[in-house]
Amino acid sequence: MIRRIALWSALITLPLLLLGAAAGGVLLLRQGGLAPYRVPSGGAITTAGDAAEGAYLARIGNCLTCHTVRGGTAFAGGRPFRTDYGTLYSTNLTPDPKTGLGDWSAEAFRHAMRHGVSRHGVLYPAFPYANFAHLTDADLDALFAYLRTLPPVEARPPPNDLRWPASWRGALVGWRMLHYRPAPLPPAPADAPPEWLRGRYLVDGLGHCAMCHGTRGAQGSLPAEGYLAGGRIPGQGWYAPPLDARQLARYDVDQLADYLVTGNGEHGAAYGSMAEVVYTSLRHLRADDARAMATYLKSVPAHGGEARPDTGRFLYAAAQPVANPHNGGRLYQDHCASCHGDGGEGRGRDYPPLRGAVSVTAPDPVNAVRLVLYGGMPPTTDGNPRPHSMPPFAGRLSNAEIAAIVTHIRRNWGEQDRPVSAADVAAYYGIRGD
Amino acid sequence: MNDVSSAPHRPAAGARLLARLACSALLAFGAVQAQTAGPDLRERLAACAACHGERGEGVAGSTYYPHLAGKPAGYLIEQLQAFRDGRRHYWQMVWLTQYMDDAYIAEIAAYYAAQPPHTQAADVGAPALPAAVRERAEQLVHHGDAQAGLPACVACHGATLTGLEPAVPALVGLPQDYIVSQIGSWRDGTRRSKAPDCMAKIAAALSPADIRIVAQYLSHQSPGAHDEPAAAGSLMPPLACGDLPHAQVTP
Ligand code: HEC
Ligand code: HEC
Ligand code: HEC
Ligand code: HEC
Ligand code: HEC
Repeated sequence: MIRRIALWSALITLPLLLLGAAAGGVLLLRQGGLAPYRVPSGGAITTAGDAAEGAYLARIGNCLTCHTVRGGTAFAGGRPFRTDYGTLYSTNLTPDPKTGLGDWSAEAFRHAMRHGVSRHGVLYPAFPYANFAHLTDADLDALFAYLRTLPPVEARPPPNDLRWPASWRGALVGWRMLHYRPAPLPPAPADAPPEWLRGRYLVDGLGHCAMCHGTRGAQGSLPAEGYLAGGRIPGQGWYAPPLDARQLARYDVDQLADYLVTGNGEHGAAYGSMAEVVYTSLRHLRADDARAMATYLKSVPAHGGEARPDTGRFLYAAAQPVANPHNGGRLYQDHCASCHGDGGEGRGRDYPPLRGAVSVTAPDPVNAVRLVLYGGMPPTTDGNPRPHSMPPFAGRLSNAEIAAIVTHIRRNWGEQDRPVSAADVAAYYGIRGD
Repeated sequence: MNDVSSAPHRPAAGARLLARLACSALLAFGAVQAQTAGPDLRERLAACAACHGERGEGVAGSTYYPHLAGKPAGYLIEQLQAFRDGRRHYWQMVWLTQYMDDAYIAEIAAYYAAQPPHTQAADVGAPALPAAVRERAEQLVHHGDAQAGLPACVACHGATLTGLEPAVPALVGLPQDYIVSQIGSWRDGTRRSKAPDCMAKIAAALSPADIRIVAQYLSHQSPGAHDEPAAAGSLMPPLACGDLPHAQVTP
C-alpha cells in the first residue's frame, strides 16, 4: 500500500518537477540565460575610452544625480531610493580601490552596465541597466575612462534597508525571470534618418526616460507594453505623462528640443522630478542631440489608440467624491488668473498655460494638487536663467478650496471630469520631499 | 505695481549695495560675481513673497518666518545655497531652491539685501519681560558668559544687533520660535554654516533655559534709527566664522 502511494506520488510529482524545471529554464533563458551571472574577473583597468566624451555622456545618463547625496561628494554614492520594498542606496563610482570602482576592469564595468550584475551580485533595477544595455562599447569605455579621472573618495553607502526577500540579492534572479526581457532595440524602419536613430539611442539608452515615463507592471517591473505610456513614478509623488505623438502634439520638434534643454516654454515648465532631470542632465544636451531626441519622441505612436486613459487606475482617496460647497471658478479668478490667465492660456514663457497642461489633462491629479499646495520654481537653465515662480497655497486655501480649484481647471481645460475631493488633497499633502 | 527701481529706497541705496557687494567680493565671496537685481525680480519671486513678504520685510503676524530685507547679501547667498545643498533642511525652502544655480541665487540675495532693512521687533504686542529674565538675557547678549565660554552676541551681530557685513545677519526682528529652532538645529547638527562654524560652538555653549530667554528678549528688540548691518571689518569677531576675519584669540 505504502509503496503504491509512493509510486503514484512519484509518478505525479516527477513530471511536475520536470515541468517546473523546464519552465524555470525557459524563464532563465528569457532573462538572458546564465551569461549575465558570469562577472568577468581580471582584465585591463585602463581603457582607450574618450574621457571628455565620457563626461558629456555621464551628464546625459545622469550618473551624478543618482550617485550623489544632496550636498555630498560627487559620485561617492549613498543617495537613497525609496521603493515599495524599503530603501536602497546607490554605490560609489569614484576610482577608490576599496569602496569604489578603483580595481574594476573596463570589461567588468561594461558587464555591470549591460547585465546589471557586478561582483556585488545581481543589482537592483533602480539602476537603469535595462537602458544602459543599449550603449555601444565606445560609449561605455568613454564613461569608464571619465569615471577614472575623478578623485578617488573612500565612501561606503549605508546598508540597504529592504524587506525580505527583496533584501536578498539572490531573489533578484527570480524577479528577472519573471520581469526582465533584455532585447536589442527593435530594427529601425528602413528610411529612418540618422537623427531619429540617434534620438532613439539617447531616449532608450543613456537618457533612461522610460524609468519614469513607462507604465509600471507588477513588482515595479517595466513591461514592454508600458513603454513610455506614462504613470505614477514609484517612490515619488509625481505622475509622468506618456511621451508619444499625441501627448507631445502641442510642441513642434524645435519647441520640444527647447523644452528639454531649458525646462521651459510656451507649453509648459518643468517641475518635480522632471525639473531635476532638466537641471542635472538635459540642460547640458548638445543642440543636435536635443533635436534628435525631440524628433524621435514625436514619432512614438500614440498609446491606447483613441481611448482616453482609464482614470480608475489612479487611487483617489475618496471612493465617492462628496459635494464641494466652494466655487472653483471664482477661486481660480481670485488666486490664479493673474498668472495663468482667465482662460488658462498662461503668459508666454513666464507662466505656463493650464489648458492642455500635463497636470491638468493627466488621469492622475497628484501633480496639480501638489503644485497648488507647495508652489513651484522651474529649474534655472541658460534658456531660463531667472525663472518666474508659483506661490504655495497650503495654509492660505483650505483643502476643500484647493480641491474645488483643481476640479475646475481639470474639467474645463483637461477633460478630466472626475472631481478631486478634500480627502485627496489631504492625502497628497502628506507626500514630502522630491 | 511699481518695480524695484521706484521702491522707497533711501538716498544712497545703490551705492550702499555696491559697497556691500564690493566688500563681500573682497572678503569672502570672491567667486560670486557682483550682482544687481533686475527690475522685474519682484514679480518673479511671487513664491517667496507668500512667506517673506514682497520685499522680504516679513509677513505680519507670522510666528516663524524670518524676514530677509536688508540682511547682508553674502549671508543670504550662503543660506540659499545651504538649503539647496543640504546644510539647512526646512523642506519648503529646499523645494524652491533645489534646482537654482549660483547666479540666480546671487541676484535674489542682492535684491533682498538692497531692500530697506526690516528690523521691527517681531513681538511688538508681547508683554514686557520679567526683570530677572531681562537681566539674564541682557547679560548674555551684551557681555556673554565667560564661565560658559560664551562671547557676547553683540561681538559679532553688532552693537545694535543689526548684523555685520558681509556674513552676519541681524538678530532683531526675528520671531522667538525661529531663533529657538535655529539654535536648536545648530545643536543637533541639522543647520551647518560655513566652517569653522562659530554658531555651532555658541549654540552648544548655551543652556536650553538661556536659549529660550535670549530668544524671548531678542524678539522684543527693535534697533531704532540705525538699522543697517555694521560695515565690514568694523568688528573683529572673537571666534572664527567661515571666511570672516577674526581676532586672534590666545588659547
Ligand atoms: C536612476 C538612478 C541611477 C542612474 C541614473 C545611474 N545609476 Fe548607477 N546605480 C544606481 C543604483 C541604485 C545602484 C545600486 C544598485 C544595487 O546596489 O543593486 C547603481 C549601481 C551602479 C553600478 C554597480 C556598482 C557596484 O559596485 O556594483 C555601476 C557600475 C553604476 N551604477 C554605474 C552608473 C553609471 C556609469 C551611470 C551613468 C551612465 C549610472 N550608474 C546611472 C542608480 C543609478
Ligand atoms: C525622474 C523621473 C523622470 C525622468 C527620468 C524623466 N522624466 Fe520627463 N517628466 C517627469 C515628470 C514627473 C513629468 C511631469 C512634470 C512636468 O511636466 O514637468 C515629466 C514631463 C516631461 C515632458 C513634458 C511633457 C508635456 O506634455 O509637456 C517631457 C517632454 C519629458 N518629460 C521628457 C523626458 C525625456 C525625453 C526624458 C529622458 C531623457 C525624461 N523626460 C525623463 C519625470 C521624469
Ligand atoms: C505668481 C504667478 C502664479 C500664480 C498666482 C499661480 N501660478 Fe500656477 N504656475 C506658475 C508657474 C511659474 C508655474 C511653473 C512652476 C514650475 O514649473 O515649477 C505654475 C505651474 C502650475 C501648474 C502646472 C502646469 C503644468 O504644466 O502641468 C498648475 C496646475 C498650476 N500652476 C495651477 C495653479 C493654480 C490652480 C493657481 C491658483 C490657486 C496658480 N497656479 C497660481 C505661476 C503661478
Ligand atoms: C512656505 C513658506 C516659504 C516660502 C514660499 C519661502 N520661504 Fe524662505 N524661509 C521660510 C522659512 C520657514 C525659513 C526658515 C527655515 C528654517 O527653519 O531654517 C526660510 C528661510 C529663508 C532664508 C534664510 C533666512 C535667514 O535669515 O537665515 C532665505 C534667504 C529665504 N528663506 C529665501 C527665500 C526665497 C528666495 C524664497 C523664494 C524662492 C523663499 N524663501 C520662499 C519659508 C518660506
Ligand atoms: C563669533 C561670532 C558670533 C557670535 C559671538 C554670535 N554669533 Fe550668531 N551668527 C554668527 C554668524 C557668522 C552667523 C551666520 C551663520 C550662517 O552663515 O549660517 C550667525 C547667525 C545667527 C543666527 C541665525 C539668524 C538667522 O536669521 O537665521 C542666530 C539666531 C544667532 N546667530 C544667534 C546668536 C546669539 C543668540 C548669540 C549670542 C548668544 C550669537 N548669535 C553670537 C556669528 C556669531
